[in-house]
Amino acid sequence: MLFHTWPFLVFLLIVLPVFFVLRKTRFWLPWLLVASYVFYGWWNPYYLLLVFYSTTLDYFIVLLMDHCLREGQKVDLLGRLTRLRFNDRVLKTAYLISALVTVVCLGLVLGGPATLRPMMGWLWLIFLLMAYGALFSSRRAWLVVSVINNLSLLLFFKYANFVTQNMNWILQKGHGALRLPEPATLMPFGFDYVLPVGISFFTFQSLSYSIDFYLGKTHRERSFLRFATFVAFFPQLLAGPIERARHLLPQFYQFPVVRMRDVTDGLSLFVVGLFKKLALANYLSFYVERVYERPAAADAPALMLATFAFAWQIFFDFSGYTDMARGVARLMGFHLMLNFNNPYLATGLGDFWARWHISLSTWFRDYLYIPLGGNKHGAFHTYRNLFLTFLISGIWHGAAWTFVIWGLLHALGVMFTRELERSAWYRESVPNLLKQIGVFIFVCFTWIFFRASSLEEALLIVRRIVGGAWTDPACPPLMLGIVALIWLYQFLYESKWRPLLQNSVVRVSLVVFMILYMCLFSSGGGAFIYFQF
Amino acid sequence: MQNKLQIQETPFVNEVRLGAAQWAIALGIVLLGVCLAPLFWPKIERFETGLDYRLPYPLSKDYWLYARRLRQRDDARSILVLGDSVIWGEYVLPDGTLSHFLSRESGSAGAFANAGVNGLFPLALEGLVRYYGGAIHGRKVLLHCNVLWMSSPKADLQTDKEEKFNHAELVPQFWPRIPCYKAEIAGRLEIVAERNLNFLAWVGHLQNAYFDQKNILAWTLAEDGGDPPKYPNTYKSPLAPITLTLPNAFKDDPERGPRSPRHKPWSSDGIGRTQFEWVDLETSLQWNAFQRLTKLLRERGNDVLVVIGPFNEHIMAEENRLAFRKLRDGIAAWLSQNQIPCLVPATLPCELYADASHPLTDGYALLAKRLSENESFRKWQSGP
Repeated sequence: MLFHTWPFLVFLLIVLPVFFVLRKTRFWLPWLLVASYVFYGWWNPYYLLLVFYSTTLDYFIVLLMDHCLREGQKVDLLGRLTRLRFNDRVLKTAYLISALVTVVCLGLVLGGPATLRPMMGWLWLIFLLMAYGALFSSRRAWLVVSVINNLSLLLFFKYANFVTQNMNWILQKGHGALRLPEPATLMPFGFDYVLPVGISFFTFQSLSYSIDFYLGKTHRERSFLRFATFVAFFPQLLAGPIERARHLLPQFYQFPVVRMRDVTDGLSLFVVGLFKKLALANYLSFYVERVYERPAAADAPALMLATFAFAWQIFFDFSGYTDMARGVARLMGFHLMLNFNNPYLATGLGDFWARWHISLSTWFRDYLYIPLGGNKHGAFHTYRNLFLTFLISGIWHGAAWTFVIWGLLHALGVMFTRELERSAWYRESVPNLLKQIGVFIFVCFTWIFFRASSLEEALLIVRRIVGGAWTDPACPPLMLGIVALIWLYQFLYESKWRPLLQNSVVRVSLVVFMILYMCLFSSGGGAFIYFQF
Repeated sequence: MQNKLQIQETPFVNEVRLGAAQWAIALGIVLLGVCLAPLFWPKIERFETGLDYRLPYPLSKDYWLYARRLRQRDDARSILVLGDSVIWGEYVLPDGTLSHFLSRESGSAGAFANAGVNGLFPLALEGLVRYYGGAIHGRKVLLHCNVLWMSSPKADLQTDKEEKFNHAELVPQFWPRIPCYKAEIAGRLEIVAERNLNFLAWVGHLQNAYFDQKNILAWTLAEDGGDPPKYPNTYKSPLAPITLTLPNAFKDDPERGPRSPRHKPWSSDGIGRTQFEWVDLETSLQWNAFQRLTKLLRERGNDVLVVIGPFNEHIMAEENRLAFRKLRDGIAAWLSQNQIPCLVPATLPCELYADASHPLTDGYALLAKRLSENESFRKWQSGP
């Protein structure tokens, strides 16, 4: 279900009143969970199983981690193996179930129906690790199960095609007869092989809970209902922000206090987000699609303007979704984290990533960059860690070489600007505006790889921008004018002229303008770009 | 245990943040604009209907304009002739339609107004009257019943295979269910909203009348259809097309009228006789819609006269005629049972039909003459 469609309005008009009616009962949380599942299942009810599976596994893994021995305590391995002598009944049960399921899965792998074998093989591995975790009382083993489980879901649904195609290409070049099977053939029960919407978001959110618990940064959530609501909370389920358990889970402990300020702020956020999506992102997308669909037919100005337009399209699209998500959550009294902070005003690439998709950047910082060592082991390790983090961030966005290149370019850019920012001359003598323009141009350049449908096409676009003819780009001045005004607004917002924007008349006028503009000019449909990630 | 300290206030990164009073003012202004714009628009937009006016073909989907036209003062005393393209006049010019010839027969220009719309069918006609025909109340209405829409399960929209048809915005979106209509729920709800929010229908009018049926932003990027494509609107002001003058009824339409190559008897193309799979009236979606339509018109205090056909029986295979007549008589019987006056004119001569249901100009003239000579018709026409 999309925020900017009529079904969502109907959905919200049912969910919100019932939510408030139930405020004095125990049912407001189950209602929120049911609403979230309906919201997700609207698209494809079968993939609700994935959300439920990911939720259940991480919930129980953390429960089992909580039952593991603390540091210094020893495991009587022999006693456990020979006499099932566990000093914890939960672990014993987990061990017995895991061991049993491991055997069943192995049996099905060896002699079960062909369509079930790949899935059973995967389950066998998961349950084998679980049996190991229970047997050794190993918190780390449980964490590995959570990581493997979440990442393998992501890998299978998002990257399996990409990996298979590339591996089969390599195998073909090697003249071998071996070929990897098409991922669609591995789906059980004849299910379609389709990328589940928002899989990268809910798996990361669920995974962060297990990692945070392992690292001692969050408590174990005892209520399954609360944890399931945290994973599936509908405003942010499909495209983030990727919330952390320690921020969102406590908000589900009791019915939130909803003040008038929450309602007005929620409405403000929602209207701004809706305007970004309907009036801006959709409009820009028309031009971007026209040019990027046939880049060989477009000349340098059109390609440059389409890239510029895409930079703003993706910003309006994604930040618009986040604004609406935060707005809807706020209407119910919940606070979601900030995800975008005027990223095209960034003065460095590091600054850009501190402003763009903040919940993902901080996720990678906390669960990849820092565990890799961060910046604590000298320049070489710092740059290696930065490089790996951005490379993986690129791959997170999509299974194609263009995303790998996009990640690599950002890695190199961040490393370069990091060095540049160390020099006093750059920091003190280069005007901020120049830095902002430089960062924006570089980011636009990287968006070429992000948007192009293939690496060849991206390179063609770059070549045509550099050496193509200068012809009429046929880009409506209205479109460029609107973007320029919004950029100007952002500049003013971060300048000494900000009080101008705080004037009540200006604010009310802007809201009136946005609503009327949407009513008159907006185009209805169009899914959000980040759903595909 | 709740840890309130961990819940951070959501930061804003712009100043578009209104308080309750400011929201009230903003919404008040928006509401005022949304309500007043469609109300005052007719005062600044020129719309000359005149004699024999019919909704121009390119504006067939401009339902807001249709509603506006029905409220026009110069039409208020006319008898409305309501129906699909047979009434609108698919092959004829505005002065070759049934309403024109009925006016001529009555001796009073403009006595009958053409309220037909091209591309309609009973399911859509019902929607048109229900949602945009509020002005049709307390009037005389000549309602045409075109049995073509019951001539096969496909025409009756009963088939399960998805079909694209005109005026999907007018058909029932949820109930009764139309099996071949497979629109997404989001689209259906959008249609329901447009029917009920006058402002949205007015925006649709702007798009239909001035922006080639496009969203205004999409219009700035529209292609001319050439290869390579050109973009004629790129540098035009989006306000420029709003000329505040609506197109008239295309009196010299080259596609229609006696001089048009399309205006010829059906048999001149060597078309043989056709087999029709007449549907059962009991289960017919179109007939049920027609029944609801007649009830609706009468509930609104209209004096309704139904004219059935005349369908082109010459085009019909011999073995089909019995089923056709049974269906036609069934319709007439239901109307009689419900005290709705109806006429079943005799089939016109073969050469006066352009296809199965549309007469040519002379066909309309003859039909009007026959109707005017009918005692029941004259009584109905001259009645209170």
